[in-house]
Amino acid sequence: MNLLEVRNLEIEYLTRDGNLKAVEGVSFSLGFHETLGLVGESGCGKSTIGLSLLRILPINARMKGRILYKEKDVVNLPDEEMRSVRGKEISMIFQDPMTSLDPIMRIKNQFFETFRAHFPKMEEDEMFKISSNVLKSIGIDPSRLENYPFEFSGGMRQRVMIALAIVLNPSLLIADEPTTSLDVVVQLQIMEVLKELKEKKDMSMILITHDLGLVAEIVDKVGIMYAGNLVEFGDVNSIYEKPLHPYTQLLLVSIPNVKLEDMELKYIKGNLPSLKSPPAGCKFHPRCPFAMDICTREDPPTFELNGRKVKCWLYKGEKDGS
Amino acid sequence: MKTYILTRVILSIPMIFILLTVVFVILRILPGNPVTAMLGPKAPPEVVKSMEAQLGLDKPIIVQFGDYIANILRGNFGNSTVTTLPVIQELEDRFPATLELTIFSMVIAVLIGIFFGSFAASHYGKTVDVMARIYSIFVYSMPVFWFGIMLQLIFGVWFKILPVSGRASPFMTPDNLYTGLYTIDAILNGQWNVLYDALLHLVLPSVTLGVVISSIFVRMVRSNVLLSLSSQYVISARSRGVKESKILYAHALKNAMIPILTIMGLQFALLLGGAVLTETTFSWPGIGSYLVERIRYRDFPAIQGAVVFFALFVVVVSILIDIINAWMDPRVRY
Repeated sequence: MNLLEVRNLEIEYLTRDGNLKAVEGVSFSLGFHETLGLVGESGCGKSTIGLSLLRILPINARMKGRILYKEKDVVNLPDEEMRSVRGKEISMIFQDPMTSLDPIMRIKNQFFETFRAHFPKMEEDEMFKISSNVLKSIGIDPSRLENYPFEFSGGMRQRVMIALAIVLNPSLLIADEPTTSLDVVVQLQIMEVLKELKEKKDMSMILITHDLGLVAEIVDKVGIMYAGNLVEFGDVNSIYEKPLHPYTQLLLVSIPNVKLEDMELKYIKGNLPSLKSPPAGCKFHPRCPFAMDICTREDPPTFELNGRKVKCWLYKGEKDGS
Repeated sequence: MKTYILTRVILSIPMIFILLTVVFVILRILPGNPVTAMLGPKAPPEVVKSMEAQLGLDKPIIVQFGDYIANILRGNFGNSTVTTLPVIQELEDRFPATLELTIFSMVIAVLIGIFFGSFAASHYGKTVDVMARIYSIFVYSMPVFWFGIMLQLIFGVWFKILPVSGRASPFMTPDNLYTGLYTIDAILNGQWNVLYDALLHLVLPSVTLGVVISSIFVRMVRSNVLLSLSSQYVISARSRGVKESKILYAHALKNAMIPILTIMGLQFALLLGGAVLTETTFSWPGIGSYLVERIRYRDFPAIQGAVVFFALFVVVVSILIDIINAWMDPRVRY
C-alpha cells in the first residue's frame, strides 16, 4: 500500500472568460517515508495539486479523478472527515510566510487552535509543552510563543509555519515553494530544517518548487510538470543523470553554473501556453527542439520506461519489458 | 499602551482647536445677525448698540475669538436667548437622551452589520449574499425620517403596540437620576416597570436609526470579511483543520474589524446627523431636537453650543475607537 495514490487527477478553474485546465490527467504515487519533488515553471499546476490533496482549492475549482490517501478517497470524503485529515494527517506550508500567519493572533494561540481543531479536550499545559518542544526542535526559542507574527523575520516565520504544520505529527507534509520568498542564506537554512525533518520524523514529503537544484539533495522522486501535465516522473538520480523528456533536459541545462567556461545564461525559449486555449497535441511542442509531426496533432500518452514515466512521443517505440 | 493613549489624547488637542475655529468662523459667515434676530428689525439703534456691547459683538473679531475660546475652555457656552438659562446646563439635561439613543442604535446597527455581513461573505454569491446587497442599497437610500414615520404608522397607529414619541410615559421617569439614561437609572432604582416603559419608547427610534446606519455596516463587514477570507492566513488555518466557523469569526471577522472600526469612527458623525432627524421625528428630547428647535428661534448661543458639543462628541468617540483599535491590533500599539 502506498501512502498516497493520485490517479487521473483533473482540476479546472471556472473563470468569467472560459474554463482553465490547471491539472490534466496527473497520476503518481508516493510511498511511506518518501520525498517527492514536484518541479515546474510558475503556473504549471503544481501548487494546485498541493492544495487539492488537502481539498482547500478556491471555490471556483472543480476536481475530478482519485486521490487515495491511506486508501481513503480524498475527493469524495465528507467535509467533516476531510477537516480531520487536514493538519493531523496531511499538512502544508506555503510560499509566503509573511502572510500565512494571522497578523493579530499570538503564535501561541495559532498553535492552540490547531490542537483544539483536532483534540477539543486537550489541556492548555499539554498544548503548551508540545508546541514548545516542536519550536525548540526547529530552532526557535519557546518563549517566543507569546509573540505576534510581525515580531519575527521572514525566515523565522517560515520556521514557525513548519512547526505549526508538523506539531500534530502528520504523515504527509506538503511544502509549496517554502523558500521562494526568502533570501538565499535563509533558503538553505529552511532546506536544512526540512532535510532534518525527513531524516528524523516518520513523514513523507512533497516539495513543490521551480528550483530543481535546490531540492535535488532531499527528494527521492521527482515529477516534472508542464502546463498541467506531469511530463516525467522517476527517481531523482536517474532523472538528473539521464533526463528523458526534452523539457526536463532543457530545465537541467538552464540551471546556472558558474564553473562552466561559457557563462551565458541558458533558458527555454518561448512561454508557457495559455491554459484556456492550449495548443493542439503535445503542449510542449511549440517550444520543443525535437518536435515531430505527430506532436502537433496528438497529445502523447505516458510511456513507462524502466520504472520511469515520460509523456513524450520520442519514446513511443522503446519498450521496457513490461 | 498607556503612551499610545496619551499621545492619542494629546494629538486631539489641535484637532479640537481647529474644530472650534471652524464653528466660530462658520457662525460669523452665515447670514443673519443675532442682535437683529433677538430684537427684531425695528429695534432702536441705541438698543442694538447696547445689546452688541453686552454680547461683545462690538469688539474686534480676534478678541471675540479669544473670548469664545476662553469661555468654552471654562465650560461656558453663554446663555440661551430663549430661556436665558446657561446653554451648558440645557445641553447636559438633554445629552443623556441622545447618548441613550445613539448607544441603542449603534448596538442594533453593529449586530445587524456583523451577523448579516459576515454571513453574506461566507455565503458569497448565494441568496443570502444577494439579499445582503439589496438590503444595504435599499436601506441606505431610505430617508431616516420617512422610515421613522412608516414605523410610527405601522407599530404606533395601526397595531398600537409601541409608543411613537418621547422617552417615557407620564409619571414613568426614574425616581432618582444617576446617569440620565432612563434604562440604566431604572435598573439602578430597581423600577422594572419604568425600565420596560423606557425600552418600549426606545424601540422605534433606535430601530429607525440603527437600521439606516446598518446598511453601511453590512456592506463594510461583507467586503472586508470577503477580503480576509481570501487571505493566505485563512487558507493556512484551513490547511491545519481549523473549523470554518472559527475561521470566519476568530480570523476573518477579527481581522476585518480593524478597518471597519476605523471607518466606523468616521461614520459616527453620520450617526449624529441621523440622530438629529430621528429625534425630531420621534420628539426625542435630545440634543438633536434641541438644535432643530433653537434654529427656529435663532438662538445663536444654543446653536453654537450644540454644534460644539456634537463635534466634541465625535472627537471623543474617535479617540475611543482608536484605543479599541490598538487593543485589537498589536501592530498599532508598538
